[in-house]
Amino acid sequence: MSSDPLLRVENLKTQFFTETGTVRAVDGISFEVYEGEIVGLVGESGAGKSVASMSLLRLVESPGEIVGGTIEYKGTTIFDLEEGPDGDLRKHPDMLSEAAMRERIRGREIAVIFQDPMESLNPVFTVGGQLREFIELNRDLSSSTAKAEAIRMLREVGIPDPEQRYEEYPHQFSGGMRQRVLIAMALACEPNLIIADEPTTALDVTVEGQILDLVDDLQERYDTSFIWVTHDMGVVAEICDRVNVMYLGEIVEQAPVDELFYETNHPYTKALLNSMPRPDRTVEELTPIEGVMPEAINPPSGCRFHPRCPDAREVCTRVHPEAREVDRADGHPHRAACVKHDVFDVGYDESVPLEDGADAKPSGGETEAERGSAAGGGHASTDGGESR
Amino acid sequence: MGLFRYTIFRLLQAIPVLIGISIITFALANLAPGDPVRLMLQGQEVDEELIRTIEARYGLDQPVHVRYWNYMTGLVQGDLGYSIHRRRPVADLMLERAGPTLLLVLSAYVFALATAIPLGVLAAKRRNKPADHVSRIVALVGVSTPSFWIGIMLIIVFAVQLGVLPSAGLVYPWQPPEAAGHSGYIEHWIESIRHLILPMIALGTLQMATLMRVERTQMIESLQQEYVTLARAYGVPERTILRKHAFRSAQLPIITIVGLNLSTALGGAVLIETVFAINGMGRLFIEAIQQLDYQLVMGITMVLGAIFVIGVVITDISYAYIDPRVTYGDRE
Repeated sequence: MSSDPLLRVENLKTQFFTETGTVRAVDGISFEVYEGEIVGLVGESGAGKSVASMSLLRLVESPGEIVGGTIEYKGTTIFDLEEGPDGDLRKHPDMLSEAAMRERIRGREIAVIFQDPMESLNPVFTVGGQLREFIELNRDLSSSTAKAEAIRMLREVGIPDPEQRYEEYPHQFSGGMRQRVLIAMALACEPNLIIADEPTTALDVTVEGQILDLVDDLQERYDTSFIWVTHDMGVVAEICDRVNVMYLGEIVEQAPVDELFYETNHPYTKALLNSMPRPDRTVEELTPIEGVMPEAINPPSGCRFHPRCPDAREVCTRVHPEAREVDRADGHPHRAACVKHDVFDVGYDESVPLEDGADAKPSGGETEAERGSAAGGGHASTDGGESR
Repeated sequence: MGLFRYTIFRLLQAIPVLIGISIITFALANLAPGDPVRLMLQGQEVDEELIRTIEARYGLDQPVHVRYWNYMTGLVQGDLGYSIHRRRPVADLMLERAGPTLLLVLSAYVFALATAIPLGVLAAKRRNKPADHVSRIVALVGVSTPSFWIGIMLIIVFAVQLGVLPSAGLVYPWQPPEAAGHSGYIEHWIESIRHLILPMIALGTLQMATLMRVERTQMIESLQQEYVTLARAYGVPERTILRKHAFRSAQLPIITIVGLNLSTALGGAVLIETVFAINGMGRLFIEAIQQLDYQLVMGITMVLGAIFVIGVVITDISYAYIDPRVTYGDRE
């Protein structure tokens, strides 16, 4: 894929200035989204996935703030800083104003689907009214055309009796139906990119399957790009083209989806994959990731994953690796932020392995393994991996 | 269940409450010291025979439960009793005085809502900024200052010192202009508004302060909802979010406060009518208490109680009308 990316994010940093200190929620992530792609953003709770996706729309709320990096969308600058004459960082003159963001980007070019379909719809307005309003606003349609379009989209996402459901209120819809409404909302505005922030997390597995099939289907027809934020490797395997694995505000591995699953290059990704049941592998027992993800307010020195990493060596406590290209597949780079790869050349092979904790295996037992294989194609969650 | 049936259902539910109110007022009136017959005779020397005749005439010689029964049978037929002291039916006395009180309370609410809602929204929008701090101080002062004191201060400043507004009485807009000595309707209505301003502010300030704080809290909560973030993410201008997306769901508690505060407003009206020399129900109530006119006291209490209960019912109904999630007592 040689064409320019639809969205280019470079070294994006978003921080929260709290009373207890600065939380580096997103700490220098870079990735691209090309046209027609579904790009995954994967990680445990607190890895900074949602903050990253809100940053793309410049909708981070106080005390949070984007403090650095570049976000470019189709050649327009959503966010950029430059160094002023006095050495201070200031907004780049090409950066879109707040009004331009609202009028040209939000909804019109980049739409979102939120995690919780129960909270995302306004309880005091009809579903159709909310849909119609956003369509009117982002496609400059008249009220009646927008209504027809809203009903058409409701039918498109598989809501029966759309004319009648149009007049109903959110509380009259089930969770899955509401998520369909939100998908209809996103698609109806005809954006080029949809950010889906854990859209299936609040749904049960059968409904999740239906929604994923629906998105797959619609994505092909509308050729919309997606950023799919999730903590679920199963979902990633099902729909993503390329994946970014996030850990503590950083992208630790970036690869096309098959590469990520079969040529895993970062110990964290490996650990994530080992902690979930896979239909393509039979294992005696699942291996949870040891420990808890530390707080982004005070990240560990060196590689942020080293306290939980089975491959950690002394050098990992000192050297903080950024993601580097370690391989290429399908014309896309396979990047990993782990010093054990030769491209880093910081003396990993000579370094002393760390003794503590990480290599101790838990005594999972028979039941654990049974549950794993029984779950079959089910999705493992990386949330709370330590408790499994 | 439709809105109409729900209304009927809620009104029926109010009946036990009203019976409770009647029992308490009747008991209090009977426990209070003083004998209405002797009070009516105002210390004249009369023989026991006459007293007994008067007692028999008004049914005062009967035991309490019989008297209560007689009172209640009258009440359900719309008879609020007969003021022995004033020798007139209680209902007539109250009807004469109801207008000014209603005018005062309604205008106080209009004043409170018209100021509290914009100020509350503004305070929520400018949270923890100067405008918010000012509104917080205004609300604190408004809640903690007694309404009669505000009334007196308003009279001193605007009526006595500046002399721009009248200090006493009301001009009733429903009366013909000639009755108030005005030449035309325009002058008449301007005069009624001028007379209304000070008592309206005095009575409305407490309501305004309470409503403003509730509006602020509700708007802040509402602005943090995910559906507001969603609206922002779809490019809805902040103005529209404040006026529409966040606004509507934030108004539900306001309706509750308005309904429940009706009792405070009616109680406040008693004081304000005294301060501004308004011949309303509040003043009638004070007079009735001073004259130990039990029938009148009971009548007014019953009516005020009923107004309050009906206010709560109306609150519930409007709630069900505004919030689509409120069902009328059954699931669909």
